[in-house]
Amino acid sequence: MKILSFILLMMACVTGLSAQHHHEKDSAPGAREINSQHSLYHLDAGWADHRGDSLALSDFRGEPVIAVMFYGNCTQVCPILIQDAWRLYSMLDDSERASVNVLAITFDTENDTPERLRAYAEREQLDIPGWHFMTSRPASVRNLAMMLGVQYSGKSDGHFAHSNLITVLDKQGRVAIRVEGLNQPMDEAAGTIRSIINNGEL
Amino acid sequence: MIMRFLTNIAPVKAIAFVAFVMAPGLAATAAAQARQVPVPSGSFHSVMPEVKGEPISVDAFYMDATAVTNEMFEAFTAENKQWQPGEVPSVFANSKYLEHWNGVRPDYDKTGANRPVTHVSWFAASAYCQWSGGRLPSLNEWEYSAQLMDFDSPEEAGRFTARLMGWYSSVDTNKSAPVGSTGIETRHGVKDQFGLIMEWVQDFKPPVADGLSLDCGTVGRMQQLGNAYSYAASIRYITRMSYRPVTTTATMGFRCAYDINDKPETATAKQ
Repeated sequence: MKILSFILLMMACVTGLSAQHHHEKDSAPGAREINSQHSLYHLDAGWADHRGDSLALSDFRGEPVIAVMFYGNCTQVCPILIQDAWRLYSMLDDSERASVNVLAITFDTENDTPERLRAYAEREQLDIPGWHFMTSRPASVRNLAMMLGVQYSGKSDGHFAHSNLITVLDKQGRVAIRVEGLNQPMDEAAGTIRSIINNGEL
Repeated sequence: MIMRFLTNIAPVKAIAFVAFVMAPGLAATAAAQARQVPVPSGSFHSVMPEVKGEPISVDAFYMDATAVTNEMFEAFTAENKQWQPGEVPSVFANSKYLEHWNGVRPDYDKTGANRPVTHVSWFAASAYCQWSGGRLPSLNEWEYSAQLMDFDSPEEAGRFTARLMGWYSSVDTNKSAPVGSTGIETRHGVKDQFGLIMEWVQDFKPPVADGLSLDCGTVGRMQQLGNAYSYAASIRYITRMSYRPVTTTATMGFRCAYDINDKPETATAKQ
Protein backbone atom coordinates (compact mmCIF):
# COMPACT_ATOMS: atom_id res chain seq x y z
CA MET A 1 0.00 0.00 0.00
CA LYS A 2 2.77 2.36 0.95
CA ILE A 3 4.69 1.64 -2.24
CA LEU A 4 1.58 2.04 -4.35
CA SER A 5 0.87 5.38 -2.75
CA PHE A 6 4.42 6.46 -3.37
CA ILE A 7 4.16 5.61 -7.05
CA LEU A 8 0.86 7.48 -7.25
CA LEU A 9 2.54 10.42 -5.63
CA MET A 10 5.39 10.45 -8.09
CA MET A 11 2.97 10.29 -11.01
CA ALA A 12 0.91 13.11 -9.63
CA CYS A 13 4.04 15.08 -8.93
CA VAL A 14 5.31 14.81 -12.48
CA THR A 15 1.96 15.65 -14.07
CA GLY A 16 1.34 18.43 -11.59
CA LEU A 17 4.62 20.10 -12.28
CA SER A 18 4.39 19.77 -16.04
CA ALA A 19 0.96 21.37 -15.87
CA GLN A 20 2.61 24.07 -13.82
CA HIS A 21 5.20 24.79 -16.48
CA HIS A 22 2.47 24.96 -19.05
CA HIS A 23 0.64 27.67 -17.12
CA GLU A 24 3.68 29.67 -16.08
CA LYS A 25 4.68 30.90 -19.50
CA ASP A 26 5.91 34.20 -18.15
CA SER A 27 8.14 32.80 -15.47
CA ALA A 28 11.38 33.75 -17.20
CA PRO A 29 13.01 35.55 -14.24
CA GLY A 30 12.66 32.47 -12.05
CA ALA A 31 10.36 31.75 -9.19
CA ARG A 32 12.23 33.62 -6.50
CA GLU A 33 13.36 36.66 -8.39
CA ILE A 34 11.75 40.05 -8.64
CA ASN A 35 11.66 41.66 -12.02
CA SER A 36 13.67 44.85 -11.55
CA GLN A 37 11.69 46.66 -14.24
CA HIS A 38 8.98 47.03 -11.66
CA SER A 39 8.69 49.62 -8.95
CA LEU A 40 7.78 48.75 -5.39
CA TYR A 41 6.35 52.22 -5.06
CA HIS A 42 3.07 50.96 -6.50
CA LEU A 43 2.43 49.91 -2.90
CA ASP A 44 0.47 52.78 -1.45
CA ALA A 45 0.19 51.52 2.12
CA GLY A 46 0.92 53.76 5.08
CA TRP A 47 3.83 53.05 7.40
CA ALA A 48 4.98 54.34 10.77
CA ASP A 49 8.64 54.55 11.72
CA HIS A 50 10.43 54.49 15.08
CA ARG A 51 10.26 58.27 15.27
CA GLY A 52 6.47 58.06 15.11
CA ASP A 53 6.40 59.60 11.62
CA SER A 54 3.87 58.47 9.02
CA LEU A 55 5.50 57.43 5.78
CA ALA A 56 4.76 55.98 2.36
CA LEU A 57 7.36 53.92 0.53
CA SER A 58 7.19 56.37 -2.35
CA ASP A 59 8.49 59.09 0.00
CA PHE A 60 11.90 57.57 -0.70
CA ARG A 61 11.62 57.94 -4.46
CA GLY A 62 14.68 59.71 -5.89
CA GLU A 63 17.20 58.12 -3.55
CA PRO A 64 18.55 54.59 -3.26
CA VAL A 65 17.13 52.46 -0.47
CA ILE A 66 18.60 49.60 1.53
CA ALA A 67 15.67 47.42 2.68
CA VAL A 68 15.86 44.67 5.26
CA MET A 69 13.06 42.77 7.01
CA PHE A 70 13.45 41.61 10.62
CA TYR A 71 11.62 41.59 13.95
CA GLY A 72 12.54 42.95 17.34
CA ASN A 73 12.22 39.81 19.46
CA CYS A 74 14.58 37.95 17.16
CA THR A 75 17.77 37.82 19.16
CA GLN A 76 19.92 35.44 17.14
CA VAL A 77 19.66 35.99 13.42
CA CYS A 78 18.17 39.47 13.14
CA PRO A 79 20.97 41.37 14.90
CA ILE A 80 23.33 39.87 12.31
CA LEU A 81 20.96 40.86 9.54
CA ILE A 82 20.74 44.42 10.85
CA GLN A 83 24.53 44.47 11.24
CA ASP A 84 24.80 43.35 7.61
CA ALA A 85 22.72 46.36 6.60
CA TRP A 86 24.98 48.54 8.71
CA ARG A 87 28.06 46.97 7.14
CA LEU A 88 26.76 47.87 3.69
CA TYR A 89 25.83 51.39 4.82
CA SER A 90 29.21 51.95 6.48
CA MET A 91 31.06 51.13 3.26
CA LEU A 92 29.67 54.37 1.84
CA ASP A 93 31.35 57.71 2.45
CA ASP A 94 29.61 60.54 4.27
CA SER A 95 28.19 62.23 1.19
CA GLU A 96 26.91 58.91 -0.16
CA ARG A 97 25.31 58.04 3.17
CA ALA A 98 23.50 61.34 3.14
CA SER A 99 21.51 60.26 0.09
CA VAL A 100 20.75 56.69 1.13
CA ASN A 101 17.79 55.53 3.22
CA VAL A 102 17.81 52.33 5.21
CA LEU A 103 14.41 50.75 5.84
CA ALA A 104 14.29 48.03 8.49
CA ILE A 105 10.78 46.61 8.29
CA THR A 106 9.37 44.39 11.02
CA PHE A 107 7.37 41.20 10.48
CA ASP A 108 6.04 41.46 14.01
CA THR A 109 3.31 44.06 13.61
CA GLU A 110 1.79 43.03 16.91
CA ASN A 111 4.77 43.61 19.19
CA ASP A 112 6.96 46.03 17.25
CA THR A 113 5.10 49.26 17.85
CA PRO A 114 6.86 52.50 16.87
CA GLU A 115 7.86 52.84 20.55
CA ARG A 116 9.38 49.35 20.64
CA LEU A 117 11.14 50.02 17.36
CA ARG A 118 12.55 53.24 18.80
CA ALA A 119 13.94 51.32 21.77
CA TYR A 120 15.38 48.77 19.36
CA ALA A 121 17.03 51.45 17.21
CA GLU A 122 18.54 53.10 20.28
CA ARG A 123 19.78 49.80 21.67
CA GLU A 124 21.46 48.98 18.36
CA GLN A 125 22.80 52.57 18.19
CA LEU A 126 21.11 53.00 14.84
CA ASP A 127 18.73 55.86 15.62
CA ILE A 128 20.55 57.87 13.00
CA PRO A 129 19.38 60.07 10.10
CA GLY A 130 18.27 58.09 7.06
CA TRP A 131 17.47 54.97 9.08
CA HIS A 132 13.81 54.03 9.52
CA PHE A 133 12.61 51.11 11.61
CA MET A 134 9.13 50.64 10.21
CA THR A 135 5.85 48.88 10.84
CA SER A 136 2.45 48.83 9.18
CA ARG A 137 -0.67 46.69 8.94
CA PRO A 138 0.03 42.96 8.64
CA ALA A 139 -1.30 42.88 5.07
CA SER A 140 1.00 45.73 4.01
CA VAL A 141 4.03 44.02 5.51
CA ARG A 142 3.09 40.82 3.69
CA ASN A 143 2.65 42.72 0.42
CA LEU A 144 6.09 44.29 0.71
CA ALA A 145 7.66 40.94 1.60
CA MET A 146 6.07 39.40 -1.49
CA MET A 147 7.51 42.15 -3.67
CA LEU A 148 10.98 41.82 -2.15
CA GLY A 149 10.83 38.02 -2.29
CA VAL A 150 11.16 37.71 1.48
CA GLN A 151 9.46 34.61 2.86
CA TYR A 152 8.26 34.53 6.44
CA SER A 153 5.71 32.83 8.61
CA GLY A 154 4.76 33.37 12.21
CA LYS A 155 5.26 30.49 14.59
CA SER A 156 3.09 29.67 17.58
CA ASP A 157 5.85 30.70 20.02
CA GLY A 158 5.71 34.28 18.72
CA HIS A 159 8.85 33.96 16.62
CA PHE A 160 9.08 34.05 12.84
CA ALA A 161 10.75 31.79 10.34
CA HIS A 162 12.07 34.10 7.63
CA SER A 163 14.52 34.47 4.79
CA ASN A 164 17.58 36.63 5.33
CA LEU A 165 17.74 39.17 2.59
CA ILE A 166 19.06 42.68 2.02
CA THR A 167 17.69 44.49 -1.01
CA VAL A 168 18.90 47.69 -2.66
CA LEU A 169 16.23 49.71 -4.48
CA ASP A 170 17.09 52.25 -7.14
CA LYS A 171 15.70 55.78 -7.32
CA GLN A 172 12.44 54.53 -8.80
CA GLY A 173 11.94 51.80 -6.23
CA ARG A 174 13.00 48.96 -8.48
CA VAL A 175 15.07 46.12 -7.08
CA ALA A 176 18.69 46.86 -8.06
CA ILE A 177 20.49 44.09 -6.20
CA ARG A 178 19.62 41.43 -3.63
CA VAL A 179 22.04 39.96 -1.10
CA GLU A 180 20.77 36.65 0.23
CA GLY A 181 22.02 35.04 3.42
CA LEU A 182 23.87 36.27 6.50
CA ASN A 183 27.39 37.71 6.60
CA GLN A 184 27.64 38.03 2.85
CA PRO A 185 30.20 40.29 1.11
CA MET A 186 28.70 43.73 0.53
CA ASP A 187 31.18 45.19 -1.97
CA GLU A 188 28.98 44.60 -4.99
CA ALA A 189 25.91 46.06 -3.29
CA ALA A 190 27.94 49.11 -2.21
CA GLY A 191 29.09 49.54 -5.80
CA THR A 192 25.49 49.33 -6.98
CA ILE A 193 24.45 52.06 -4.53
CA ARG A 194 27.30 54.32 -5.72
CA SER A 195 26.34 53.91 -9.34
CA ILE A 196 22.68 54.65 -8.49
CA ILE A 197 23.73 57.83 -6.68
CA ASN A 198 26.01 58.92 -9.51
CA ASN A 199 23.40 58.25 -12.13
CA GLY A 200 21.73 61.62 -12.67
CA GLU A 201 18.43 60.26 -13.91
CA LEU A 202 15.58 59.71 -11.55
CA MET B 1 -3.78 -3.94 10.39
CA ILE B 2 -5.89 -0.83 10.51
CA MET B 3 -4.57 2.12 8.55
CA ARG B 4 -5.16 5.62 9.60
CA PHE B 5 -6.63 7.15 6.50
CA LEU B 6 -7.20 10.65 7.69
CA THR B 7 -6.11 12.58 10.68
CA ASN B 8 -9.64 13.27 11.80
CA ILE B 9 -12.19 10.59 11.33
CA ALA B 10 -15.40 11.10 13.24
CA PRO B 11 -18.96 9.90 12.72
CA VAL B 12 -20.75 11.95 10.13
CA LYS B 13 -23.60 12.43 12.61
CA ALA B 14 -21.33 14.76 14.54
CA ILE B 15 -22.31 17.48 12.07
CA ALA B 16 -25.43 18.53 13.93
CA PHE B 17 -25.68 21.98 12.45
CA VAL B 18 -23.45 24.71 11.17
CA ALA B 19 -23.94 28.24 12.33
CA PHE B 20 -23.20 30.93 9.81
CA VAL B 21 -21.81 33.98 11.51
CA MET B 22 -20.80 37.22 9.92
CA ALA B 23 -17.44 38.55 10.99
CA PRO B 24 -17.45 42.17 12.13
CA GLY B 25 -15.95 45.12 10.36
CA LEU B 26 -16.82 44.36 6.77
CA ALA B 27 -16.29 47.02 4.19
CA ALA B 28 -17.60 45.27 1.12
CA THR B 29 -21.20 45.28 -0.02
CA ALA B 30 -23.34 42.38 1.11
CA ALA B 31 -23.72 41.06 -2.43
CA ALA B 32 -19.98 40.63 -2.69
CA GLN B 33 -19.61 38.51 0.41
CA ALA B 34 -19.41 34.80 0.71
CA ARG B 35 -20.92 33.16 3.76
CA GLN B 36 -18.35 32.98 6.50
CA VAL B 37 -18.16 30.05 8.84
CA PRO B 38 -16.30 29.82 12.13
CA VAL B 39 -13.46 27.33 12.24
CA PRO B 40 -12.64 26.46 15.87
CA SER B 41 -9.06 26.30 17.11
CA GLY B 42 -7.18 23.04 16.90
CA SER B 43 -4.04 21.50 15.55
CA PHE B 44 -2.81 19.39 12.68
CA HIS B 45 0.33 17.67 11.44
CA SER B 46 2.10 19.39 8.59
CA VAL B 47 3.87 17.48 5.84
CA MET B 48 6.72 19.99 5.83
CA PRO B 49 10.00 18.25 6.71
CA GLU B 50 11.16 20.83 9.22
CA VAL B 51 8.14 20.68 11.48
CA LYS B 52 8.38 17.02 12.34
CA GLY B 53 6.72 15.86 15.51
CA GLU B 54 4.90 18.75 17.09
CA PRO B 55 1.45 19.39 15.67
CA ILE B 56 0.84 22.93 14.44
CA SER B 57 -1.79 24.70 16.49
CA VAL B 58 -4.16 27.08 14.80
CA ASP B 59 -6.31 29.73 16.50
CA ALA B 60 -10.01 29.98 15.74
CA PHE B 61 -10.87 32.07 12.68
CA TYR B 62 -13.62 32.64 10.16
CA MET B 63 -13.35 31.46 6.60
CA ASP B 64 -15.47 31.92 3.50
CA ALA B 65 -17.58 28.81 3.02
CA THR B 66 -16.90 28.97 -0.71
CA ALA B 67 -14.30 30.47 -3.04
CA VAL B 68 -14.68 34.03 -4.35
CA THR B 69 -16.74 33.98 -7.57
CA ASN B 70 -16.43 35.94 -10.81
CA GLU B 71 -19.46 37.98 -9.79
CA MET B 72 -18.02 38.81 -6.37
CA PHE B 73 -14.70 39.76 -7.89
CA GLU B 74 -16.42 41.99 -10.41
CA ALA B 75 -18.06 43.89 -7.55
CA PHE B 76 -14.54 44.46 -6.22
CA THR B 77 -13.07 45.64 -9.53
CA ALA B 78 -16.08 47.88 -10.14
CA GLU B 79 -15.36 49.71 -6.88
CA ASN B 80 -11.59 49.55 -7.28
CA LYS B 81 -10.79 50.50 -10.86
CA GLN B 82 -7.08 49.98 -10.31
CA TRP B 83 -7.82 46.24 -10.18
CA GLN B 84 -9.75 46.10 -13.44
CA PRO B 85 -8.21 44.16 -16.31
CA GLY B 86 -5.71 46.37 -18.14
CA GLU B 87 -5.21 48.68 -15.14
CA VAL B 88 -3.00 46.46 -13.01
CA PRO B 89 0.75 47.17 -13.13
CA SER B 90 2.84 44.13 -13.94
CA VAL B 91 4.38 44.34 -10.51
CA PHE B 92 1.01 43.10 -9.14
CA ALA B 93 -0.09 40.58 -11.78
CA ASN B 94 1.20 38.99 -14.97
CA SER B 95 -0.36 39.55 -18.37
CA LYS B 96 -2.92 36.76 -17.98
CA TYR B 97 -4.74 38.62 -15.19
CA LEU B 98 -8.49 37.99 -15.59
CA GLU B 99 -7.90 37.01 -19.21
CA HIS B 100 -10.98 34.76 -19.16
CA TRP B 101 -13.18 37.81 -18.62
CA ASN B 102 -12.33 39.09 -22.10
CA GLY B 103 -12.75 42.67 -21.00
CA VAL B 104 -13.47 44.86 -18.03
CA ARG B 105 -16.67 43.00 -17.24
CA PRO B 106 -16.92 39.22 -17.47
CA ASP B 107 -19.20 37.59 -19.98
CA TYR B 108 -21.12 35.48 -17.49
CA ASP B 109 -22.50 33.19 -20.19
CA LYS B 110 -18.94 32.04 -20.70
CA THR B 111 -17.31 32.56 -17.31
CA GLY B 112 -20.25 31.76 -15.03
CA ALA B 113 -21.23 34.24 -12.33
CA ASN B 114 -20.99 31.59 -9.63
CA ARG B 115 -17.84 29.92 -10.79
CA PRO B 116 -14.72 30.67 -8.79
CA VAL B 117 -12.70 33.59 -10.11
CA THR B 118 -9.32 32.43 -11.43
CA HIS B 119 -6.50 34.19 -13.31
CA VAL B 120 -5.98 36.32 -10.21
CA SER B 121 -2.56 37.01 -8.74
CA TRP B 122 -1.70 36.76 -5.06
CA PHE B 123 -1.67 40.56 -4.87
CA ALA B 124 -5.17 40.79 -6.38
CA ALA B 125 -6.49 38.09 -4.07
CA SER B 126 -4.95 39.82 -1.07
CA ALA B 127 -6.38 43.19 -2.10
CA TYR B 128 -9.85 41.67 -2.50
CA CYS B 129 -9.76 40.13 0.95
CA GLN B 130 -8.66 43.39 2.55
CA TRP B 131 -11.49 45.17 0.75
CA SER B 132 -13.94 42.60 2.07
CA GLY B 133 -12.76 43.21 5.64
CA GLY B 134 -10.59 40.13 5.89
CA ARG B 135 -7.34 38.67 4.68
CA LEU B 136 -6.10 35.61 2.86
CA PRO B 137 -6.06 32.54 5.10
CA SER B 138 -2.62 31.53 6.28
CA LEU B 139 -1.22 28.35 4.82
CA ASN B 140 -1.67 26.64 8.18
CA GLU B 141 -5.26 27.84 8.55
CA TRP B 142 -6.14 26.59 5.09
CA GLU B 143 -4.49 23.21 5.54
CA TYR B 144 -5.92 22.80 9.03
CA SER B 145 -9.45 23.47 7.80
CA ALA B 146 -9.00 21.18 4.81
CA GLN B 147 -8.41 18.10 6.94
CA LEU B 148 -11.44 18.62 9.20
CA MET B 149 -13.46 16.13 7.19
CA ASP B 150 -15.79 13.44 8.49
CA PHE B 151 -16.25 10.05 6.89
CA ASP B 152 -18.67 7.25 7.67
CA SER B 153 -16.03 4.58 7.34
CA PRO B 154 -12.37 4.02 6.55
CA GLU B 155 -13.51 2.71 3.16
CA GLU B 156 -15.21 5.97 2.37
CA ALA B 157 -12.13 7.87 3.49
CA GLY B 158 -10.04 5.66 1.24
CA ARG B 159 -12.28 6.34 -1.74
CA PHE B 160 -12.09 10.05 -1.06
CA THR B 161 -8.30 10.13 -0.93
CA ALA B 162 -8.11 8.15 -4.16
CA ARG B 163 -10.39 10.74 -5.79
CA LEU B 164 -8.20 13.47 -4.37
CA MET B 165 -5.07 12.00 -5.91
CA GLY B 166 -6.83 11.73 -9.24
CA TRP B 167 -7.92 15.32 -9.06
CA TYR B 168 -4.49 16.66 -8.24
CA SER B 169 -2.94 14.75 -11.12
CA SER B 170 -5.28 16.35 -13.63
CA VAL B 171 -6.98 19.58 -12.59
CA ASP B 172 -9.23 20.31 -15.55
CA THR B 173 -9.14 24.01 -16.29
CA ASN B 174 -11.89 23.79 -18.90
CA LYS B 175 -14.39 22.12 -16.65
CA SER B 176 -14.83 24.74 -13.98
CA ALA B 177 -17.98 24.27 -11.91
CA PRO B 178 -19.92 26.67 -9.66
CA VAL B 179 -18.74 27.11 -6.08
CA GLY B 180 -20.36 24.73 -3.61
CA SER B 181 -20.91 22.10 -6.29
CA THR B 182 -18.26 19.53 -5.38
CA GLY B 183 -20.16 18.10 -2.43
CA ILE B 184 -16.87 18.18 -0.52
CA GLU B 185 -17.37 19.93 2.80
CA THR B 186 -15.61 20.05 6.15
CA ARG B 187 -17.50 19.39 9.34
CA HIS B 188 -17.64 23.16 9.84
CA GLY B 189 -19.23 23.85 6.47
CA VAL B 190 -16.20 24.97 4.46
CA LYS B 191 -16.82 23.73 0.93
CA ASP B 192 -14.72 22.77 -2.11
CA GLN B 193 -11.28 22.99 -0.56
CA PHE B 194 -10.55 20.20 -3.01
CA GLY B 195 -12.00 19.32 -6.35
CA LEU B 196 -12.59 22.80 -7.77
CA ILE B 197 -9.50 25.03 -7.88
CA MET B 198 -6.16 25.61 -6.21
CA GLU B 199 -6.32 28.50 -3.73
CA TRP B 200 -3.96 31.30 -2.75
CA VAL B 201 -2.91 31.50 0.87
CA GLN B 202 -1.18 34.37 2.64
CA ASP B 203 2.22 32.67 2.97
CA PHE B 204 2.09 30.31 0.03
CA LYS B 205 5.88 30.14 -0.04
CA PRO B 206 6.83 29.28 3.52
CA PRO B 207 10.48 29.69 4.47
CA VAL B 208 12.07 26.30 4.02
CA ALA B 209 15.43 24.77 4.71
CA ASP B 210 18.12 25.54 2.14
CA GLY B 211 18.19 21.99 0.85
CA LEU B 212 14.49 21.98 0.02
CA SER B 213 14.17 22.73 -3.64
CA LEU B 214 11.34 22.32 -6.07
CA ASP B 215 11.61 18.86 -7.45
CA CYS B 216 9.95 15.53 -7.08
CA GLY B 217 12.72 14.34 -4.79
CA THR B 218 11.49 16.99 -2.38
CA VAL B 219 8.03 15.51 -2.42
CA GLY B 220 9.58 12.16 -1.65
CA ARG B 221 11.32 13.65 1.38
CA MET B 222 8.14 15.18 2.73
CA GLN B 223 6.67 13.45 5.69
CA GLN B 224 4.50 10.46 5.13
CA LEU B 225 2.02 10.65 7.94
CA GLY B 226 0.63 7.21 7.29
CA ASN B 227 -2.38 8.47 5.40
CA ALA B 228 -3.03 9.10 1.76
CA TYR B 229 -4.17 12.61 2.59
CA SER B 230 -0.59 13.59 3.29
CA TYR B 231 0.49 12.68 -0.25
CA ALA B 232 -2.05 15.06 -1.71
CA ALA B 233 -0.94 17.69 0.79
CA SER B 234 2.67 17.26 -0.33
CA ILE B 235 1.68 17.93 -3.92
CA ARG B 236 -0.21 21.01 -2.81
CA TYR B 237 2.76 22.42 -0.90
CA ILE B 238 5.13 21.81 -3.80
CA THR B 239 2.78 23.31 -6.37
CA ARG B 240 2.23 26.40 -4.25
CA MET B 241 5.94 26.90 -3.81
CA SER B 242 6.37 26.99 -7.56
CA TYR B 243 4.13 30.04 -7.91
CA ARG B 244 5.20 33.67 -7.87
CA PRO B 245 2.92 36.30 -6.30
CA VAL B 246 2.18 37.77 -9.76
CA THR B 247 1.25 34.38 -11.20
CA THR B 248 -2.25 34.04 -12.63
CA THR B 249 -3.50 30.70 -13.90
CA ALA B 250 -6.79 29.12 -14.86
CA THR B 251 -6.65 26.88 -11.81
CA MET B 252 -5.75 29.39 -9.12
CA GLY B 253 -8.44 31.24 -7.17
CA PHE B 254 -8.93 32.06 -3.51
CA ARG B 255 -11.21 32.55 -0.54
CA CYS B 256 -10.80 34.93 2.41
CA ALA B 257 -10.39 34.46 6.14
CA TYR B 258 -11.20 36.78 9.02
CA ASP B 259 -9.88 37.23 12.55
CA ILE B 260 -12.31 36.35 15.33
CA ASN B 261 -11.48 39.50 17.23
CA ASP B 262 -11.05 42.45 14.96
CA LYS B 263 -8.11 43.84 16.85
CA PRO B 264 -7.49 47.57 16.79
CA GLU B 265 -4.47 48.70 14.81
CA THR B 266 -1.26 48.46 16.80
CA ALA B 267 0.63 50.62 14.38
CA THR B 268 -0.24 54.28 14.10
CA ALA B 269 0.24 54.05 10.35
CA LYS B 270 -2.28 55.84 8.19
CA GLN B 271 -4.66 53.68 6.18
